[in-house]
Amino acid sequence: MTTTKSSILSFFWLILLTLLSVYVGEVLENRSISIFVVMFIVFLKGQQIIDIFMELKHAPSRWRFLLMSYVIIIPVAITAIYLF
Amino acid sequence: MSETTVDNNITPTSVNSSAKHSENRLPGDIAMWFFILAELSVFAIFFIGFAVAEQLNPEMFSQGKAQLHPTAGLINTIALITSSFIVALALQIMHKGQGRNAAKALIIAQLVAVVYLVVKLWEYQFLFDADIDIETNTFFTLYFLITFFHFMHVLLGMVILTFIAIKSAKGQYQQNDMSGFESGACYWHMVDLLWIILFPLIYVI
Repeated sequence: MTTTKSSILSFFWLILLTLLSVYVGEVLENRSISIFVVMFIVFLKGQQIIDIFMELKHAPSRWRFLLMSYVIIIPVAITAIYLF
Repeated sequence: MSETTVDNNITPTSVNSSAKHSENRLPGDIAMWFFILAELSVFAIFFIGFAVAEQLNPEMFSQGKAQLHPTAGLINTIALITSSFIVALALQIMHKGQGRNAAKALIIAQLVAVVYLVVKLWEYQFLFDADIDIETNTFFTLYFLITFFHFMHVLLGMVILTFIAIKSAKGQYQQNDMSGFESGACYWHMVDLLWIILFPLIYVI
């Protein structure tokens, strides 16, 4: 797949995930599940930006890991703070 | 003129070497990546601080969030994602040696980012009109601190995009050396990355 096609797909995926997170925040009455789902969406969106827009998918693995860890640690920490 | 020079450099050999070059390579300048990591760390403290403060003052934060406009936050999210997407396309255009087209794409990306600036300023004005400011309570102190800090990063990102757009239009980036362009683009994507955490934290959950 060309990089341009990846970027276009990624863009629509990001918009869809954004709308989904707003919908989940509005509709789900269980706050714990809502926070968990919304933070998981943050991870999915972060992964798209890092791999596709920043083009780190084929970068040295340490750098990719470093950036990816940010979109894992922060949502996990936020979820943990709210849920425990 | 300079654009033609860049186009002439695209031979099968240079395309192959460019493809090899892009494999297992960190885009942009390493100094920019350390700067990005530093910025992400500062915002990480803000995000964690906000979540902890909300747990300590759940009622105040719930009331505070109710006074915000989720639609404004959603518009800003879509604006920043779209702008980031256009910058990603601009880099791909630049890889094809089309500096002027890349510059045009960067200008469009900035125009989309202006939507974010206008909506954010409208939101601030709306709150000020309701006698809400940074001293109202802990929620609004953190709200203004975090969102205005991010706002300043968007402005800095736009200055950087303007700079690389001018250099692109002048044909000052070469096929084998567009580190400056990539660094600017990655900074802009970082601004987007921060907002996709900030938006659900402040507006959604």
